[in-house]
Amino acid sequence: MSRPPLWRLTPWTRAPWLGLRQPAAVIAVLVTSAILACAVASAPLFLSSARSAALQQQLSQRCDEVARPQTGVQSALVDEQLQPLDGGDGSSRPELDESLLQAWADAGLEAEPVLATAAIGSSSPGSPGALVRGPDGAALSQPVTLFHRPAALDNVEVVEAGNGSGVWVPASVAEQDGLAIGDQLAFGTQQAPVAGIYQDLAVANPDDPYWCDYRLLFSNEASANRAPPAMLLVTDESTFYRLATAAAGGATRLQQVPVDASSLSVSDVRDQRETQERIVAASGLASEFAPGVRAIAVPNDRLPDVLERAGLIESGLRGPVVPVAVAGALLALVLVASAGSFWADRRATEVRLLAARGVGPVPLAGKAALELGLPALAGAALGWAASRVLITGLGPSDDLDPSATSAAAWAGVAAFVVGLGAASAVAGLRARGTAERPLGAAPRWPARVPWELALLLGAAWCWLLLQSRDAVVSVAYVAQVNGLLVAFPLLAIAGAAVLLGRGVTASLPRLRRWAGRRPPAVFLALNRLSAARLATATLLVAVTLPVAVLGYTATLTASSQTTLDAKVGVQIGAAAAATTVTRFEVTPALEAAGTYVVRYDGSAVAGDDGRTDVQVLAVDPDDFADTAFWDDSFADRPLAELLTALTGPEVDGRLPVVAAGLPAGDPDLRLGTTAVPAEVTATARVLPGRRSGDPVVLVAADRLPEISRNAGAAPAAELWTNGDLGAGIDALTDAGGQNIRVLTPGGVQESANFLGITWTFGYLSALAVFVGVIAVGGLLLYLEARSRSRVSGYVMARRLGLSRGAHLRSLLVELVGVAVAGLLLGTLLAAGAVALVYRRLDVDLVRPPTPLLDVPWSAIAGTAVATVVVAGLAALYAQRAADRADPASVLREDA
Amino acid sequence: MNARLQPAGGFTGTGLVKRFRRGAETVSALAGVGLEVGSGEFVALVGPSGSGKSTLLALLCGWETADEGELAYLGPLAGRRPEGFGWRDLALVPQALGLVADLSLADNVLLPARLSGTLAAEEARARSLLTAFGVEHLADRYPHQASLGEQQRVAVARALLLRPAVLLADEPTAHQDRGHADRLLDAVTDAAREGSAVLIATHDEIAWARADRVLSMRDGVVTEGLPS
Repeated sequence: MSRPPLWRLTPWTRAPWLGLRQPAAVIAVLVTSAILACAVASAPLFLSSARSAALQQQLSQRCDEVARPQTGVQSALVDEQLQPLDGGDGSSRPELDESLLQAWADAGLEAEPVLATAAIGSSSPGSPGALVRGPDGAALSQPVTLFHRPAALDNVEVVEAGNGSGVWVPASVAEQDGLAIGDQLAFGTQQAPVAGIYQDLAVANPDDPYWCDYRLLFSNEASANRAPPAMLLVTDESTFYRLATAAAGGATRLQQVPVDASSLSVSDVRDQRETQERIVAASGLASEFAPGVRAIAVPNDRLPDVLERAGLIESGLRGPVVPVAVAGALLALVLVASAGSFWADRRATEVRLLAARGVGPVPLAGKAALELGLPALAGAALGWAASRVLITGLGPSDDLDPSATSAAAWAGVAAFVVGLGAASAVAGLRARGTAERPLGAAPRWPARVPWELALLLGAAWCWLLLQSRDAVVSVAYVAQVNGLLVAFPLLAIAGAAVLLGRGVTASLPRLRRWAGRRPPAVFLALNRLSAARLATATLLVAVTLPVAVLGYTATLTASSQTTLDAKVGVQIGAAAAATTVTRFEVTPALEAAGTYVVRYDGSAVAGDDGRTDVQVLAVDPDDFADTAFWDDSFADRPLAELLTALTGPEVDGRLPVVAAGLPAGDPDLRLGTTAVPAEVTATARVLPGRRSGDPVVLVAADRLPEISRNAGAAPAAELWTNGDLGAGIDALTDAGGQNIRVLTPGGVQESANFLGITWTFGYLSALAVFVGVIAVGGLLLYLEARSRSRVSGYVMARRLGLSRGAHLRSLLVELVGVAVAGLLLGTLLAAGAVALVYRRLDVDLVRPPTPLLDVPWSAIAGTAVATVVVAGLAALYAQRAADRADPASVLREDA
Repeated sequence: MNARLQPAGGFTGTGLVKRFRRGAETVSALAGVGLEVGSGEFVALVGPSGSGKSTLLALLCGWETADEGELAYLGPLAGRRPEGFGWRDLALVPQALGLVADLSLADNVLLPARLSGTLAAEEARARSLLTAFGVEHLADRYPHQASLGEQQRVAVARALLLRPAVLLADEPTAHQDRGHADRLLDAVTDAAREGSAVLIATHDEIAWARADRVLSMRDGVVTEGLPS
């Protein structure tokens, strides 16, 4: 009679339900599978989250209209012979507007019609404008442009309001040209009265979201030397078309879909953009003006740019995030495999019996897979869900692309398959090995091979590659971290942690001998650690790794931010600055607002070098140090001490100066055509106000000879302040300053995008926390796996005379001791990795200073406290489990 | 062996009852046990598996409490409850042996001395016991690196180390060959001769023959003499 196949025998057919008899093993596999699935599923979700956040961050810095899908028609109002088209009112194509609006409605989006603007003299914003004649028949002092938009007049500061239709003029134009309500203005052959006067938008509404997208029409950002045309607001649509047609202008009618830019994902924007393109294509409108073409489509052409930059940030993140996710997944896989080993321990009686009857490791692994399949599947599902919750809750944005969610689901499936395979394989091998292994056998050779050296070699290879590559690259002003900069420390930390763990645990037998004459708590703790060296080493590495990675990432993140802040501070000179090239009197209000600096373009000859460009800052030595941005790393002495050098006596007629970046020797300064011999009485590595690679020289303003404005030194007056910039601007305006420009941190940082760097280290920090979770899971597995022998030993030791307090102390020594050792090793490794890397992490190579080191002591202390507390709680948990044991039943089990 | 005598100990039990709940059923593991073991006496407790021997030993050492009946210890132990006894008062060899898995065999034997602060004084006796039981060459091994029989001998050595006033052992020769079983019985007999009150639960007929008295146990009841 032939034997039935193994899989048809009870231990296999009932395996899925037998597993439930070992809730500890089920929970271990469930939790570790969840951790694994969370690790792999989080990567696509994080990238999607970062992409959405990058998109939203860009949109938040720009006008609302940038995010709005739109169609529209920009049309000329006159033909080549300047004859009015379509009867001259331009609104004679309502059917096109309606069809475009209907197309949006058909696509499920509600668009709102906007008659946005009409420029006269040219059909584009920022046009030179057209000449309009005043009531006296003379041309106004400046060209004008016409603008009409529903509710525009509700969004201005009214200076004087009249009745009826016509145009509203800016207060500055009204004042300059002596215009009053009711005065008639001539637009070619048409006339319209002045219906109102409003405060210039540049003064009253510079940051009004309503006007944001039309800023070019009233603000002089594009050119500092030419004011934009005066913007006349037309009260109604028919007047607008009448005047614009008479002035040979054009009109733009738009259909915009109002969207909430703060919750957009890249998929959303792509979908909307595709809809926009489809509708535009269906409209049949031309894309460019050409002979005979009088109307063109006006889609939102800024969406592709926004999408492209979001994609750049994401692709920059992909390099570091993928290796981090792989590292996390590998660690989690080790944990899952450990859970498989734990199952073998828990099912020792049955698997020993099966092994004794000749069942090999493969059928045993199959049995383990059948028993652990359901919990592993549930764990993978939980992990996927957890990754979604974590990324939406803690990630850069909670708006995820659907494709990322499905990619994460597939990653979860892969985690389930690989995790179950690993757990089953280890369970099968361990089960068979436990049954067959002779007593007192030495560890197998794989346990003795220092595999961690491969990690260290990998780290060395990354380091070598990094020597010939930039650690941080900037693509289209988007800073990206080189993946090697992430892979190197991770590999180095992991390899060194395992190597150190191996070294420390190798010393345990000696420690055990030392403990022979120590109190029972120490004796028992060190014996427990020494008896399970592999478990001890694993636990030690499990504590060391997250501490090291967290310390490393937290320090680099803090250092990057500090460096960036310092760069911005040096660039501006203080928290904020206002500059003007016009003359003004220094008033008490101005002095109270901050410190006053005059910047000159200069040059210098010093030493044997040729003449070099220099920025000369004439400062007030009495209050400059109180306001100017300063970091102690900028010089060997405080700024206030450096400035005292400016008030010292002249040497051979040379003016004392403080310099940064100048070659050695006393410089022959030249401010335009004016020569200023100078003596460098103090130097610094970096000085505030340095805005280019040129050296900076500080000089006392009251000792600088009069520099003629014709000397070509391009003097610019600056007010540096750490207080209210608005008050400073008011003071500057009151003092006579005009065309004031401001420098703020936000404005300076807009020119470069550092999100990629911030998120890269954020993800690394998340990995460290994740590894910490793995460590806690490992700690619980460690405790559970050894609980039987621990409880048995405890109840017997109690009978032998061990007090409960001594046992708890021994647990504390054991677990807190490992935690403290892991903390020390982790901190050591983090310090080493930071020391190797931080100087290379220059987030902006153009601006000084070079990277600064900022150690987040509070975060490190928090990590240390959390680690020790977790270890302490684990000791209490183990003590509680031991206390609850029934000695009679524990010691009646088979030995 | 050291000839130092233990102070007189011993114990008596009267009408000891211990019941357990097993689902809806109540099981009487001890159904009115009466026994007396005096100082210097070696008593063998005989009975089939499940007759209540281990429960009785657990009750005597304080791991269980009797639902009914009275348990009294004699001599210097009089008036004290067994859960408060030290290893010098009452030592035992449980069925599962109770060796501490993380300690070497030698450290397991010495653990009672270490915990009572007499480590240095008992080191020689520990070595002597290990030698007597033929496990001195395994002294540095962990329990899982020794056979079950070797572990059992270590557990008996640990029980004898401090010359307890009362010695309880659950099947102390179950995993031994005849030679080692005899050596263990010699040591147990010596302990009784030195003043210990010794009660061992055993299926070993040689042990019955060497005991001063034999108590039979069946269905939770103890009777004097060999089982019929």
